[in-house]
Amino acid sequence: MYRKLSITPVTRRGLLRGAAYGFGLFGLSDLLADRTGLAAATQNPLAPREPHFEPRAKRVIFLFMHGGPSSIDIFDPKPRLYRDHGKPLPIKRPLAFDDEHPPGPLMKPLWDFHPGGKSGIPVSDLFPEVRDVVDELCIIRSMVGEGVDHGSALLQTFTGSFTFTRPSMGSWTLYGLGSENENLPGFITIKPTLSHGGAKNWSSAFLPGAYQGTAIGNAGLEVEALRAEPIEYLVQKELAGDQQRYELEMLENINRKHAEMRRYDPELEARIQSFELAARMQVEAPEAFDVETESIATKKLYGLDDPVTADFAWQCLLARRLVERDVRYIQCTHSYKWDQHSNLFAGHIKNAREVDRPIAGLIRDLKSRDLLKDTLVIWGGEFGRTPVSEGGDGRDHNPYGYTIWMAGGGVKAGFVYGATDDIGYHAVENRMHIHDFHATVLHLLGIDHERLTYRFSGRDFRLTDVAGVVAEDILA
Amino acid sequence: MVTHPVLRAPLALVFGFVSPLLPAQELFEESIRPVLVERCFACHNPIVLEGGLDLTNAAGFAKGAATGPLLSPEARERSRLLAALSYEERVKMPPDGRLAPEAIDAFRVWVEMGAPWPDAGRVSTSSPSDVNPGFTKEQRSFWAFQPMSDPKPPPVAGPWPRGAIDRFLLAKLEAEGLEPAPPVEKLSLLRRVTYDLTGLPPTKDEIRNFLSDDSPAAFKTVVERLLASPRYGERWGRHWLDVARYADSTGSDEDVRYPNGWRYRDYVIRAFNEDLPYGRFVQEQVAGDLLPAEDGSEVNVQGLVATGFLALGPKALSQQDKTRMLYDIYDEQLDVVSKAFLGLTVTCARCHDHKFDPIPTRDYYSMVSIFARTESFANDKRRDISRWSRPLVPESIYEIYRRWQNLILHKEADIQNVIDEALARRNERLVPQIDAYMLAAERIYGGGEDSGTVASETGLDPALLESWVAYLEPREIPRPHMAAWREASPRARADVARAYRDQDRADLSEWNAKVRERWKEILAARPEIDEPPPTRPEILAGEVRFFYGVHISGGPFAVSEDDYENVFSAETIARLRQLEEQLEVLEKAASPMPPMASSVAEGEPVLQKVFLRGDHRNPGEDAPMGFLSILGGGHPLPKLSTSGRFELAQWLTAPEHPLTARVMVNRVWQWHFGEGLVRTSSNFGKMGEVPSHPDLLDYLARQLIASGWSIKDLHRRILHSSAYRMSSDTSPEAHLRDPENRFLSHFNRRRLDVEEIRDSLLAIDGSLDFTMGGTLDERVGNEPENNSGRLSLDPSTFYRRTVYLPLRRANLPPFLGLFDFGDAVNSLAKRSSTNVSPQALFMMNSTFVAERADNLAASLLEETDGDAPRDIDRAYLVILNRPATSEEIESGSGYVERFTNSFPGVSAERDAWKSFYKILMASNEFIYID
Repeated sequence: MYRKLSITPVTRRGLLRGAAYGFGLFGLSDLLADRTGLAAATQNPLAPREPHFEPRAKRVIFLFMHGGPSSIDIFDPKPRLYRDHGKPLPIKRPLAFDDEHPPGPLMKPLWDFHPGGKSGIPVSDLFPEVRDVVDELCIIRSMVGEGVDHGSALLQTFTGSFTFTRPSMGSWTLYGLGSENENLPGFITIKPTLSHGGAKNWSSAFLPGAYQGTAIGNAGLEVEALRAEPIEYLVQKELAGDQQRYELEMLENINRKHAEMRRYDPELEARIQSFELAARMQVEAPEAFDVETESIATKKLYGLDDPVTADFAWQCLLARRLVERDVRYIQCTHSYKWDQHSNLFAGHIKNAREVDRPIAGLIRDLKSRDLLKDTLVIWGGEFGRTPVSEGGDGRDHNPYGYTIWMAGGGVKAGFVYGATDDIGYHAVENRMHIHDFHATVLHLLGIDHERLTYRFSGRDFRLTDVAGVVAEDILA
Repeated sequence: MVTHPVLRAPLALVFGFVSPLLPAQELFEESIRPVLVERCFACHNPIVLEGGLDLTNAAGFAKGAATGPLLSPEARERSRLLAALSYEERVKMPPDGRLAPEAIDAFRVWVEMGAPWPDAGRVSTSSPSDVNPGFTKEQRSFWAFQPMSDPKPPPVAGPWPRGAIDRFLLAKLEAEGLEPAPPVEKLSLLRRVTYDLTGLPPTKDEIRNFLSDDSPAAFKTVVERLLASPRYGERWGRHWLDVARYADSTGSDEDVRYPNGWRYRDYVIRAFNEDLPYGRFVQEQVAGDLLPAEDGSEVNVQGLVATGFLALGPKALSQQDKTRMLYDIYDEQLDVVSKAFLGLTVTCARCHDHKFDPIPTRDYYSMVSIFARTESFANDKRRDISRWSRPLVPESIYEIYRRWQNLILHKEADIQNVIDEALARRNERLVPQIDAYMLAAERIYGGGEDSGTVASETGLDPALLESWVAYLEPREIPRPHMAAWREASPRARADVARAYRDQDRADLSEWNAKVRERWKEILAARPEIDEPPPTRPEILAGEVRFFYGVHISGGPFAVSEDDYENVFSAETIARLRQLEEQLEVLEKAASPMPPMASSVAEGEPVLQKVFLRGDHRNPGEDAPMGFLSILGGGHPLPKLSTSGRFELAQWLTAPEHPLTARVMVNRVWQWHFGEGLVRTSSNFGKMGEVPSHPDLLDYLARQLIASGWSIKDLHRRILHSSAYRMSSDTSPEAHLRDPENRFLSHFNRRRLDVEEIRDSLLAIDGSLDFTMGGTLDERVGNEPENNSGRLSLDPSTFYRRTVYLPLRRANLPPFLGLFDFGDAVNSLAKRSSTNVSPQALFMMNSTFVAERADNLAASLLEETDGDAPRDIDRAYLVILNRPATSEEIESGSGYVERFTNSFPGVSAERDAWKSFYKILMASNEFIYID
């Protein structure tokens, strides 16, 4: 079944030739081409799996605005807030993060709204570039969560539960669909936050570890520090390519002899394969992470050339490169900047400047490469912010009615779904609870959220627990 | 602090006088029943039935003990009951301490009255099915809830069985038409048992000794050596830490450190090393704070530390619905208790009756009430969990420490008071000039005038003026609170500046008044040195943005600590110096912080209700404290003044309990063989698996109890079986008939777990540090968002065994996750064992592995002076724990030679050896145990 690798004297010229083509192009890769009827292949937890039904999206990019951007200042204009600016909150305040102080008065949006694109959907001056691509967006103004603190809200957004550690949405996705690129991790989170649940937000919890998100650094690190080795252990720092190939062939030889003497153990074969895959990952992954090969125009499109936007531009551009390579689920994080309990005006301007161009650039780029049609882009924070002010021009957390948007991946474009009440506190129309959001995302990926289950500790678990309704109205 | 029930006589007995004139019922309810409840029920209940005696109801009392009735009708005063209570004869009850004399008097009076039991008519009989008649026959007859049977090992023929275990196994194998695999090779057995018991490879001396020992006791010698090694507790303690979901921080949102969590980890390791009886181990983890110290000391240090089992769980601290947060925590505690000890998923019954197991929601709340009466928090805000710990010294000693701390806090308050007052005076002095500064600054940044000239013209302080320029200069993102100033016309500017000044003056005077008022209170409270000083008022920046900016947050009039010397009067500075010196003296003299433990304590009584659909805002019927009805624990425990944890611990460890021993025996089996007799080792319920060998399970469970709950005794039974010595090779018949090896016809090959991988790699080059215990991370609290301090410490920078790495729950070291460590959040019954390419990348490319190989290459080159066959043989011994074959020596030498020749360089030979050793470390043979 396998080509036996025997150790023969390697001539220097032969090694040089190998080096010229790059390690992994022959030898080990030949083996990969040869895996017919492989018992261990069925053991690969990342092998692609058939969705439950025809998917609209094949991959997901989640652009996460950590801290909670203010929906009513960006995507959800509320005329009454102008009219009643400074008046007391006309309703009983629901559980607030700052429950110790009485609520401040209603505060009007701090930016003007203008219609964008052909659809004329209003977006405030905070996001002028995103406004220009609003025709691609499906804006959901009726999100509802339960966590009024960041930790609860992040955990619920990404795992469905803010009480227990549960597998994250990316892990469920990978578990449901597998990965179509075995040379890259199937679930990658770029510069994720270490706080508010930290790694629990991309963990596989009780799902097998293979479905864990792979972190590219963390939010505390500069992009420069990540370029050399975006994934841990990806880079061989000591051996030249031909030396390493030589080493791996010997390893395989030893492992095969070991396996031959042991019957009926697919794990031994699986582990031999894992080295072959690792070798390919080592060759192919660095290329995927190298944004330098992009054209100047593309870099400009994302804002990679501007220090203000460079960080998030790098994340978004990386996300595009990864979806091109069929990575299943990617998250970009604009970490913990949006939490303006005071000073919202200055804070939100600074934040929006950092992400507005990269986000619009990503949408345009995906569109022009025809990737948007089967890539679902999601934008949002863990909650929105209150219509009442706090600490001068700040706003408190509001999980009761906030905005996220989706684009591509089989959702209606240039569409607004759901609505909050006339002060923007509670979602009142087409409420989309986080469970419903999860159900909808899985649906777009061709997965029935009620059938994607995992047996643990005596019961079947789902991303959506016992809830979740697919928002049929947003499907294109 | 004092919480052991022994020390808690019912109030009526302590303060009241028991009069024979009291009506019988009142006497019984006031003075008899409470004592029975607190001191007798734990053993004399219908489940435990110690001595055959049930004191929970009149019928049981009347029936008496297995040895006879408690009362003798002829001579009441000489009844066995009073004899036992008086401690005058052989049987002394309660065994944990004589009752108070008043209590014994009360019993004497009661007996003389004819021992009337007021509700005798009502509670005449009692059985589990009465308590909850809702259970079906099928539920009641479910295997896990039945008493343990007392099976005899079946008679089987042949030389294979060495003992009872083998006989049980062989009987099944024969019934299935299977044969046990032949014995494994000697060195594979040594490798197997050494990793199994210590998580480490055998050393080359250990290999040599075992090979040369041909006596029949050779293996026994090895087992005893390993069981006596401290490395044993580090390995088996870690197994338990998985079940206990141990970590060093709260995880969830805040991920605050538990600074004393490591003591619990060390306790577990010690418990295994010392073979602490498992029953005691269970009791200590549930209620160690309520048990007297075994050595009679005033503080039960071991018991307090053990309750870290309850205290160290994940907690969502910033959840704003605090009641919900607390009940989430009680739920988590009940979850770990029920999975770890009972092998049941009790917490599934939080919102509705358990879907699969006979656990009604009421039972859930009856049990949750125990944790609701248990305290694991320090203060009302309930956020600062990291400081919730209990001293491991007597109260009197801790009190001394606390008083020193308060002295220090008060001294710090004095310093702050002087600073606050100096700042207040300075601000009052400066405020009238605000408008002058604003107008002057505008001339500079707006009018382009020279700042020195403006300063000398206006007579304003040049440095302060510069700060005003910096504060008022137009910014890229304009500040809303400066809009009036920005937009003021030149003519209006002076008025606007005055308005800012006046507003600021008002804000300042309000703030100063608030601070001064508070200081008055603080100083007035000074005699109460027992308490820390009250806190200063906090300022809400957003409400007074201009004031906050100008005076406090780096604005023109703000003063940083470094500037005190320049801006405060000489008098103030002198005073500050004096106070700081005093503070220093205090800090030096203060008694150091005593050792503390993350522990629980008895809390306030709670009238627990069932929460409909799990929602605390929706209370239903009462849920009096109790255990699981299906296990006969559903009798509401009579009202206790304690949490009920003590009773829970007793109930769990009663010898008749059908689950506790079975569950643990099964875990031990699983940790030896890779799979349990029940493969779902934390779920013995309906959704779990049924035992493959129920008789063997019961046999071992009974043996465990009979041995005094000795885990090491259980190890010996298992290790000395033939089953343990079988080869891991699968025969074609076994592969066909029993592909999952449920009947154990061969040993299960297993991948090393992450601790074994890291520890072995460190052992290979001799860099493993065997220091035991303590913490590698002295920090408390948590770091700011996205600070790398939120990460767990990097494992590759330490050489201690992996079990000692601190575990930040929200950000575990990725290396641990890479090799299936688990999440340290959910009680983990069994590690998974995956083979994925990121693991291969670690072996191929990590500096950690390369360093080990390089060190080994260096030391072997020196040791054998370049004798290749010896090097290879030695490396096989160290890495794969067997000598190399001649073929392997040949191919290894060839590899090294060719590598050296093909890649010449200064260190070509060492690089070649390094590469070869890396290969052995990355090999399947290294990472799999046959």
